[in-house]
Amino acid sequence: AGLAGAAWLYLRREKEQRLRQRRLRDLRALALGQGDFQLQDTSGTPRTRADLLGRWVLLYFGFTHCPDVCPEELEKLCRAVELLEGVPGLPPVQPLFITVDPARDDAAALGRYLRDFHPRLQGLTGTAEQVRAAAGAFRVYVSAGPPDPDGDYVVDHSVLTFLLGPDGLVRDCYGRSRTAEELAKSVRGHMESYEPLPA
Amino acid sequence: AARMAAPTREERTACWGARDEFWQCLDSHGDDTAKCEKLRRAFESRCPQQWVKHFDKRRDFLKYKKKLETEGYIPPEAAGKS
Repeated sequence: AGLAGAAWLYLRREKEQRLRQRRLRDLRALALGQGDFQLQDTSGTPRTRADLLGRWVLLYFGFTHCPDVCPEELEKLCRAVELLEGVPGLPPVQPLFITVDPARDDAAALGRYLRDFHPRLQGLTGTAEQVRAAAGAFRVYVSAGPPDPDGDYVVDHSVLTFLLGPDGLVRDCYGRSRTAEELAKSVRGHMESYEPLPA
Repeated sequence: AARMAAPTREERTACWGARDEFWQCLDSHGDDTAKCEKLRRAFESRCPQQWVKHFDKRRDFLKYKKKLETEGYIPPEAAGKS
């Protein structure tokens, strides 16, 4: 009976491994987030995709004039990062925000906005073209609404948090319905089963 | 055009609070906006105009969603007179 149990566990692990590998191949084929971007962080320093390699990243696209969704999603993302910080032995996660409203969200505006959330939360902005390219690389939908008489407007956009692995591949993405606890649990699972995709 | 700064965290919280008070008033008065004038004005003064529009739409959506959940979906042709 013990041998059968051990064999079953082995087979199940093999199956899980195969599923994970297949999923990784699918993700890589999807090529989400591949392709370089050129953006600047809140201190004006140029940043490219290479700067993200070697770390786990939780990435959210939003804008500072956002009425409710972006602060909520950022709180959630940062709460997930905090939960993960409490687990011994896990590598740190880099929380990252990329604006979809570069016309208003310059480095200074981003810095002011992100300060409220998590000390390690970084932000990226750029020219309209640079931001459009970065959002496009992640298939993030962006559409600025019509401005009102004093020039204010909201930006409609996909609400997604992406998990990037140290090899730069998008490993998962999370929508509005996931809680901080679910995010942390999922990220932890990815970290613990992490295998870099063979080149 | 002059660029307005985004609301700070305190301003966001104040706006959401005013919105919630207004919505609570509507909830307890069967959505009769006439009964909640004062809170409506407070809400409009605390939030950027774009946010007021956004939250108005959100409330309509939430009510519609609730209606679907409780009454089920009635296709327009079958609904008859509203």
